[in-house]
Amino acid sequence: MSTAISIKGISKRFGAHVALDSIDLQVRPGELLALLGPSGSGKTTLLRIIAGLDTPDAGQILFGDEDAPIHTMRERRVGFVFQHYALFRHMTVFENVAFGLRVRKRAQRLSQAEIAQRVQRLLELVQLEWLADRYPAQLSGGQRQRIALCRALAIDPRMLLLDEPFGVLDAKVRKELRRWLRQLHRNLNVTSVFVTHDQEEALELADRVVVLSSGRIEQIGTPAEVYAQPASAFVHEFLGETNRLECHIEHGFVLLGALPIGRAERGIGSAVVYVRPQDIVLSRDASGPGLVRHARRTGPLARVVVELAGSNVDVTIPIDSVAPLGAREGDRVSVQVRAGVIFPASPVESMKLLPLDLQGRMLSLVPSAIGA
Amino acid sequence: MATETLGVPISSMYANGWVRHALTAAALGLMVLFLLLPLAVVLVQAFGSGVGAYVDALADPDTLSAIRLTLFVAVIAVALNVMFGIAAAWCVARFEFRGKSFLVTLIDLPFSISPVIAGLCQVMLFGLHGWLGPWLRDRDVQVIFATPGIVLATIFVTLPFVARELIPLMEEQGAEEEEAAVSLGASGWSTFWRVTIPKIRWGLLYGVLLCNARAMGEFGAVSVVSGHIRGATDTMPLQVEALFNDYQTEAAFAVASLLAGLALVTLVAKLLLESRFPDELTATHRF
Repeated sequence: MSTAISIKGISKRFGAHVALDSIDLQVRPGELLALLGPSGSGKTTLLRIIAGLDTPDAGQILFGDEDAPIHTMRERRVGFVFQHYALFRHMTVFENVAFGLRVRKRAQRLSQAEIAQRVQRLLELVQLEWLADRYPAQLSGGQRQRIALCRALAIDPRMLLLDEPFGVLDAKVRKELRRWLRQLHRNLNVTSVFVTHDQEEALELADRVVVLSSGRIEQIGTPAEVYAQPASAFVHEFLGETNRLECHIEHGFVLLGALPIGRAERGIGSAVVYVRPQDIVLSRDASGPGLVRHARRTGPLARVVVELAGSNVDVTIPIDSVAPLGAREGDRVSVQVRAGVIFPASPVESMKLLPLDLQGRMLSLVPSAIGA
Repeated sequence: MATETLGVPISSMYANGWVRHALTAAALGLMVLFLLLPLAVVLVQAFGSGVGAYVDALADPDTLSAIRLTLFVAVIAVALNVMFGIAAAWCVARFEFRGKSFLVTLIDLPFSISPVIAGLCQVMLFGLHGWLGPWLRDRDVQVIFATPGIVLATIFVTLPFVARELIPLMEEQGAEEEEAAVSLGASGWSTFWRVTIPKIRWGLLYGVLLCNARAMGEFGAVSVVSGHIRGATDTMPLQVEALFNDYQTEAAFAVASLLAGLALVTLVAKLLLESRFPDELTATHRF
């Protein structure tokens, strides 16, 4: 498969802090790639290095089929969208978008009429042509973001890089813009890399997600892959809500305290088990091991906190199964864990947690059938 | 507790009002006494013998020469100051380096040193018996008691104005717009002229105004290096003093009124700028 950007062994330090530690990554042509990680994970540094705004201490970045690194930003032809937009405050929207066309070398410069035409077309693309004469200070956050994108597209970039594109917008605008960007990307099909710390954004928007932590790549995969098969405890914890349970594995049983909550194929000793709130099923049971501590409806889901063997466990259940369950604070329930991931303390690979049957006995199904 | 105190509207803290009125009256009274009255005296004295005498006083060849010299020195000092100020602010606001805080302190040095000492330093350096004196004399270059010395002394005294105005402004504005310009293919030169200068223009203009006012009005440092040669090395402030010492009070005040008028123009321009661009002026009021 051909690559749009080839990142080889990129490292960067800021003083004693290692921002990026030997990153290798291939970006495919036309894809929308998310760099996901907490703050300080190096994702923005990596994006800036791809853009040429920062220089790496080691490693190189190759674009397309070229086999030599390009050093000047002018030749890289990268559209960069800044987190705080970085629109030129003293220029109108029109002049902002036209900037990249006006600063071209004389030989490549378009005529005034061509520039005007092109800017007009780009503004129509983002549906903001009526704002051409305004100044950035007169625009809303969402409009500024779209103009910033428009300005980046004006130079006909070989790729788009977006640094936390929706970071400073409120939740509703963010959602709209996300959908809009997805659509725009589908229409333009330009290779795009965006940085985000919002896992929901990454999972919803990206074709592939790169999860970064402390300057290293934890996992690369499609949203479904990184969510369902996290490569590390970090990825599991970072992507979506989860319960972190300190467990013990004995005779193939996963024990929370003395309570068996699932089975494991191998491994003995202590392990950390991650279980997502929606992978736990509660049923009313006066002699059950769980004690409902707290229950609250939030939109289509109800959130229940269950005390189980000394740990508080978050459970989400669809709102329509709340009534049959009838769980109130102080009720006892039985708890069935349907799925989870086990990370043993000794450095062996993670494995799946296999469910028990309702009575707490081992299910008679063959493990492979459950794993499917 | 503190927040509760802050929550009380100021007007209700002085509800009976007399404190407010008394303080306002005192402040205004002092202003009139110490600022407006002297200014009025200057004007009254200047026009004491009528407009004709005023014009005659200004048309005196020595005075004209002083005005020319002052303008010449101010133009050079302001131009160099703008260049130095932008370069210093750029380097302080954009880069992290060892000795940065030392550099910032150094920029402030002319404010903390008496101008007379600044002038004396020039004499020690460039004067006939100074360190560079013999070398300069061999090459037939006269610095002290000549225009170059006056220019140097003025530059030294006004050095901080533009830099001091631009450093906080550029630190606050950040470099993202410049980065955006570069990412859009702009060269360093074009980024500077199309993005950086427009971003800082009002702050820059403000610094230029302050710098210009000081450059024209500087007395101490210039007095030491000028040598007081009438019609050659006297600037306007020096000419005022010289005329005053010669008991030509009206002529002295006529020149003084020109200087004062310049100060007023600067103040008005400053006020206009501040009201139009409050966010972009960090208002270095401590000077």
